[in-house]
Amino acid sequence: MNTSSNPRKRALVIGLILVGSIIVGIFGLRTIRAFREFRGHRPPPPSAAEEIETDVSLIRDWMTIPYISKMYLVPPRILFKALEIPEHKNKEKSLRQLNEEYYPQAKGIVLEKVKATILANPPQPMPTVPDTPVVP
Amino acid sequence: MSDFLLTQIINYGAPILGAIVFIGAMGAPFPATVIVIAVGAFCKQGFLSWYTTGLVALVCVVMGDSLSYAMGYYVREPVLRRFGKSERWAQAESTFNRWGVMSVLLTRFLITGLAVPVNLIAGTSNFPFRKFFLYDLLGEAIWVFGYGGLGYLFGTQWELIGAFISNFGSLTLGLVILLAGIILAIRWLRSR
Repeated sequence: MNTSSNPRKRALVIGLILVGSIIVGIFGLRTIRAFREFRGHRPPPPSAAEEIETDVSLIRDWMTIPYISKMYLVPPRILFKALEIPEHKNKEKSLRQLNEEYYPQAKGIVLEKVKATILANPPQPMPTVPDTPVVP
Repeated sequence: MSDFLLTQIINYGAPILGAIVFIGAMGAPFPATVIVIAVGAFCKQGFLSWYTTGLVALVCVVMGDSLSYAMGYYVREPVLRRFGKSERWAQAESTFNRWGVMSVLLTRFLITGLAVPVNLIAGTSNFPFRKFFLYDLLGEAIWVFGYGGLGYLFGTQWELIGAFISNFGSLTLGLVILLAGIILAIRWLRSR
């Protein structure tokens, strides 16, 4: 390819180097930052799979009440009661959606209330449905 | 976008994941790798079954890739009418046939940003579909079970590994673009 004789091809070469350098610069820094954050953590030991989650800082506003309830072993009715929100038709909504719908003036209040409720209510064993019917 | 998709996955499970990876394989800009890592964590937490979810994701992503290959294949005729007789087209076609296997495999799980263009080029350049399908399946299995497995391993800490892998994927894409630019620049300098 004789790029020197074709300004469009020269522009392509310069463009590729420029765009490539920008992407490498931005994402190189972000990768290093993410690696530093990640380096300090190791996968939890296999036994931890059975342990109950207690760290409320892991709660995000995309999560739903039933999901959080199962993750932290706190019954959903306790969380809905604390939020003063009806359980019906709200099970599939994220915390952000609940916040926008019920507390539009107070940004982030649902997330904070859920965290506080979980801290105030220690994990409770959830009712489980037996795999096979129990014969009396 | 990814927050909304994550909420839908915890509500509706594997079918939504299947739809996301299928549409993503056809070019929609979904953060599919991060979602697969998150789904691995959901499987560990017991919200989803790992084998059903993994299988659904694998089947859907391979279907999406095959469809984008087909799109490339069916635009082959107009493309050939425009470029088919040129020497450069023949050269590009033979180059893809030489490097096609590696391109298909690596763009499934390492340089995922180039997966859709590679699917389209594979279809347009008449790269054998059987070969494409085989290496696509292999690469996507690494993507689904490898990244999903990382999510499973890290459980509730999946966001840390997700951020690292997502940024690393974009970094490799940048490196590929930069490398292509450097190779063309070297050829340019040599030709002067």
